[in-house]
This record gives sequence, C-alpha cells and structure tokens, in this order.
Amino acid sequence: MAKIVVLGAGVSGHTAISYLHKELGKEHEIVMVSPNKNYQWIPSNIWIGVGRMTPKQTVFPLEPIYKKRGIKHIIAKAVSFHPEGNEDEKMPYIIAEYVSEDKKGQRVKVTYDYLINATGPKLNFSATEGLLPGTNKTVSVCTYDHAQHAWKELDALIQRMKKGEHVKILVGTGHAKATCQGAAFEYILNIEHELNQHKVRDKATITWISNEYELGDFGIDGGLMKAWGKVISNKDIAEMLFEDRNVNYITGAGVYKIEDGVAHYENLEGEYKQENFDFAMLIPAFSGHGFEAFDKHGNDITDKLFKGFMIVDADYTPKPYEEWTVQDWPETYQNPSYPNIFAPGIAFAPPHTISKPRKSKNGTPIFPAPPRTGMPSGISAKVVVDNVVELVKNGKNAKLHKGSMGNMGAACVASTGFGLGNGSAISMTVNPIVPDYKKYPDTGGRILSDTIGDYGLAGHWVKLSLHYMFIYKAKMKPFWWLIPE
Amino acid sequence: MAQKITKWQRFMIKNWIIQFFRFIYLNIKILMVVAKGHGGTRV
Repeated sequence: MAKIVVLGAGVSGHTAISYLHKELGKEHEIVMVSPNKNYQWIPSNIWIGVGRMTPKQTVFPLEPIYKKRGIKHIIAKAVSFHPEGNEDEKMPYIIAEYVSEDKKGQRVKVTYDYLINATGPKLNFSATEGLLPGTNKTVSVCTYDHAQHAWKELDALIQRMKKGEHVKILVGTGHAKATCQGAAFEYILNIEHELNQHKVRDKATITWISNEYELGDFGIDGGLMKAWGKVISNKDIAEMLFEDRNVNYITGAGVYKIEDGVAHYENLEGEYKQENFDFAMLIPAFSGHGFEAFDKHGNDITDKLFKGFMIVDADYTPKPYEEWTVQDWPETYQNPSYPNIFAPGIAFAPPHTISKPRKSKNGTPIFPAPPRTGMPSGISAKVVVDNVVELVKNGKNAKLHKGSMGNMGAACVASTGFGLGNGSAISMTVNPIVPDYKKYPDTGGRILSDTIGDYGLAGHWVKLSLHYMFIYKAKMKPFWWLIPE
Repeated sequence: MAQKITKWQRFMIKNWIIQFFRFIYLNIKILMVVAKGHGGTRV
C-alpha cells in the first residue's frame, strides 16, 4: 500500500486528489494537507467582486467530500520538506503547521511514498510598497473574501457616483512582474458593465494599467487568432474592446509603490509616473511560499527542490529569449533529484517567461510572469496523477506520461459583463499554450485552426455553464470525470 | 488607431438566436481543442 500526500486544495491539488481516489480507490492511503477547509472556484471571484455572485455560490466545504471517500484531510500549511527522512524517520516526510484555532502553531510530521506539491502561489502583496487589499483605496479579487470586500467598496463608490461625484477607477497589475492579467482584464470590463447597469458610467474614468508590452499579451506573448472570419491579434481585440467601452490604458508599466489613492509606476521608457484613483484593483506579484528542505543529516537542500517554486523536469539553463524553445517546458512535472515528488499547476518553477522579457531604460525588468492557472493547472495535475499511479502500479518499469504546455491546448473564457440577456465574454482557445515558433513560424507559434476568438453573449453563457460544470466536478458528483479539465 | 466594433458586429454579438448557435459552436470548439490531448515536446 502506498501513501500519497497532496499539498494544496486548489484547482491543481483538488484535481489530483479526485483522480487519485478514482484511480487508486481505498487500497492506498491518500492524504490532503491544506490550510483551506473549503474549495473555491476562483474564476468566478470576478462576479463576486461586482456583486453578481456570493461566496456561497463559489465555495463549498471539502470535509464531507473527503470523509465520504476515506481521504484524510489535515488542515495545515506545509513548512519544510525532508525528502530523505532523517536518522529517526526512514520515510520521506514534510512538516506542516496547523492553522485551525484549537491547534494553531502546532506542527505535524506527514510521511509519504509520493508527494504532489500543488501549493499554488503566495499572493506577494508586500513586493509592492503600500499594496494591501483594504488599504490605500485598493482591493483584490484573488480570493473570495477579497472579492467580497471589493464589491463592498465598489458598491459604496457607486453610491457616491449616484450622488454626482466623478471618480477614477484603476485596474491592472500591481507589480512589474505580475501575472494573471486575464483576471484583471475581466474585472475592469465587468466594472464598466456594472456602471452602465447602475446608469453611472459617465461618472467614472476607467483606466487599465499593466506590465504587458502591449494590450492582449496576457503573459502568453499575445498572438494571432481567428475571429469574425479573419486573422487578428489579441492586441486588436483588446484595443477594440477598450475603445468600445471608453477605457483608457497604460501598458509597459511596473507599479512599485501605492499611496492613498496614488499608484507610482515606472514605464519602459524609464519615466517615473503616477496615476490617481478612488478605487483600484491591482494584481500582486506571485511568489513561492518560502519552503525549506533538508537532507537526512539536516543539511539545507532547499536549492535542490526550489527555485522560488518547485524544480521539475524543465530546462532551467539561463539563455536569451531568442534561444528559448518549447522543449524548455516540463513534461512530467517530476523533481529531478527526488523522483517521488511532483509539482503541477502554479507550484512548478517555470523555465522562463512566455512573453518576451523587457527592461526599462533604467534596467528595471517589466514584463508578465507566465500564467499556469485554470486549465493548465488541471491538466498538469491529471498528468502527475497518471505518473504517480503508473509508479505505484509498475514501480521501476513505469513509463511516465507527458503533458507539456508546449503541446497542450487550452480554452479561456474572459467575462466582460454578467447578465443572461445582456452579458458578454471573450472566448478564446489556444494551442499550444506556450507558442512553438519553430513548428508554427507563420502563425504566431500556434495552430491557427485551434486558436480562435469570439466575443458576445454566447461567451457569457459558456462562462456561466463552466462555473456550474466545474463546481459539479469538484464536488465529485456522479460521472464528474467526464467533464474535462 | 484601434478598430471599432461595427454596427453589424454589435448586432451579431447581442442577437439571441445567432448567439445560441455560437454557444453550441463554442462548446464544440472548446471540447475539440481539449480533446486533442497533450504530450511531450522532446524527441
């Protein structure tokens, strides 16, 4: 009997646990270690942030689901990794710290045969001076409670606008190397849509600020897509929407400091500027959790396991952008030093960004970090589970499964307004996620027939149906595995 | 200068009947891209 421990109950970790249970059943021990008691469907936080959904619709407790299936859930956060055990403990293990009130601060040792690290990102607000949700007129939609607070603040702002006040709204990235531009893009257009619904659109100046070199980069190096019967760029679509919705935009901006209602940023020209606001939602930098690792003698081996995020089978050799290839990206998500450790989703250290790295004239790096959220998180978790199951069943003869982001299609539906009759969204499919410029040199590194864009009401219906489908899947209801990642 | 959404495009993106068929098309398209699967890139 093997013991498999999963760290993190987000999209990646919960997907891994679900498939492990499906594939291995109760014959093997499956343990979840996560500081969260609940599962949250993060893509719908945008709708909580504009008051169109409540956390109850996007969050549910994990305990009854795990209990029914015999999955042990330790509500604690991982602190350190001991992949060789130590003199007293021959099994590899991790140390986790309880977060519940009754055991807060107490530590527990969790041994494992296989470890899946799906801890996701740390929301590193402190990387930008003054950026903290609830202070300096800033909010966040990164978690459901952040999003609930964002709606409270936005609602108060709308009431002020109804009294005739003109306000400035700023949405985008809050750090020179932030990622998740897509979430901010959705939020700014949902805000614009809601202000129209409340008939106060003329009372607001709405501005987009981002570290992208140009609109529509989204951290995946932009690209071409088929839309409205022609080939156009992501940039064209994003520009068209902002023009249509009267949204101003600032690109190539690295926000480095927030004061009360003021965002300070440096642009690629090396100029230091500022933007005033009455309400701002700025995505923070993501970082690793600062885990430590030790060998069996107690020596620090953190560098063997982590490079900010966890080291996997990627090619981390530093090289210029022109020499980057899709082959640099991981295929099995297995740690090269400890083959019984895997890291899917945001938890793995990417070999480099996807977007071209750029520096300001002062030498400050200003470009998006690579996104690994949503679909890639789910798919890489499934690949990891396939590999762990293979190793459990076949041991040394195991043939590992592969799923590189350079050979993986994905769909992204970006809401641009909520409403069954008047909502809208941009639906996009890309294949591959990481552009392969050698294989597809004339089409932006992607298969054009698989890389499409569509804007309209249908997109909203797709996004809404995905919300219900993925919550159904996450609750592991009958035939949940038929719903793809 | 950014392209603008034309009157025809605006009609298309808001028309329930047209959008119903787009909804079906998008679901099939998404499924097809996802169903293509994934694999490695190294020889």
